[in-house]
Amino acid sequence: MRGIHPYGLKNIDLQNLYDKGLKGEIMSKRIKIEVRDNGIAHLKMNDEKGKNEFNDDFISELIQGLSTLEENNKIKVLILSGLNEVFSAGANKQNLLDLCDGKIHVKDLLISEKLIFTPVPVIAAMEGHAVGGGLIMAACCDIVIAARESRYGAVFMSLGFTPGMGCTQLLPELMGPFIASEMMFTGKLFKGSQLVDKGTNINYILSKSEVMKKAEDLALQISEKNIKSIQLLKYTLSAKKKKLLIDARVHEDFMHRLSFAFPETKKMIEEKYGK
Amino acid sequence: MDKAKIIEVIKKHILENLEDLKEEDIDPKKSMKDYGANSLDIIEVVSCSMRELNIKIPRSELTDIQNIDQLADKFLQYV
Repeated sequence: MRGIHPYGLKNIDLQNLYDKGLKGEIMSKRIKIEVRDNGIAHLKMNDEKGKNEFNDDFISELIQGLSTLEENNKIKVLILSGLNEVFSAGANKQNLLDLCDGKIHVKDLLISEKLIFTPVPVIAAMEGHAVGGGLIMAACCDIVIAARESRYGAVFMSLGFTPGMGCTQLLPELMGPFIASEMMFTGKLFKGSQLVDKGTNINYILSKSEVMKKAEDLALQISEKNIKSIQLLKYTLSAKKKKLLIDARVHEDFMHRLSFAFPETKKMIEEKYGK
Repeated sequence: MDKAKIIEVIKKHILENLEDLKEEDIDPKKSMKDYGANSLDIIEVVSCSMRELNIKIPRSELTDIQNIDQLADKFLQYV
């Protein structure tokens, strides 16, 4: 990512992140990347210890991984997966507490943006739970597979603050507007099996053991297509999400400035952020 | 409210949150984990049950509970 940033994120932050990543190892301990000859790439979020929570190291390794893939013009499709138990647990507790103290973390936002701007289709293969920002990652992808056994929820409000990462616009796209409202207002963690008959836009809700197989099958079908046409189609189809993310951020940033400053919010995070 | 009623409420939420399980299969001496519940399943069952029973128990008081029966005992202290 070079030059002026389309969303006006501070270039210094971005540059710092990329510089840090570029000087470090490309294959990190938290992210595993596999690129195959047939153009299928697989990025596995593999932070067992941190449950794929968004701490600073995780984010910078993830962004670096996605940047590396972006620069590889032989890739036709990307599978994004997580751990068997947890796809991603979303924002890290310390980062949330920092936000309450007025320290700015814009890095979470980079994840939504980076995924949406990926030049090839991304398949979210969620074997494990996806919570908060973790679920929004899936909403940034093109095709989404969930597991019957795992849970999916937008828990922001349960911790006292309003949703972020583009959730208010992107989650309704994935779940349908009314289910998304229920998820955001209640913070309920829906079991995959409970979402089956809700008419969400999730492509497949399968047994956990079937999730990766389905992702591989879809990726294989896409990989048989012309790479140039794949990129063209992705560019067109992603236009809506790019716009939604810009729209969401105007409101979400404003709501965050207010809701993270509520004195109750810090207490709720301290008390309710689960381990 | 007696303990039997509390166990009934917990069982109802276990059935709603876990697949392929019948009420008669649930033994209160066992942990929800024995029925395939993951950590978020357990959190959901506990919070749904507390909501129905109209009680609030801090998370820290629930960490040492080993089975459904002990959970019911803890709930009983609050109803």
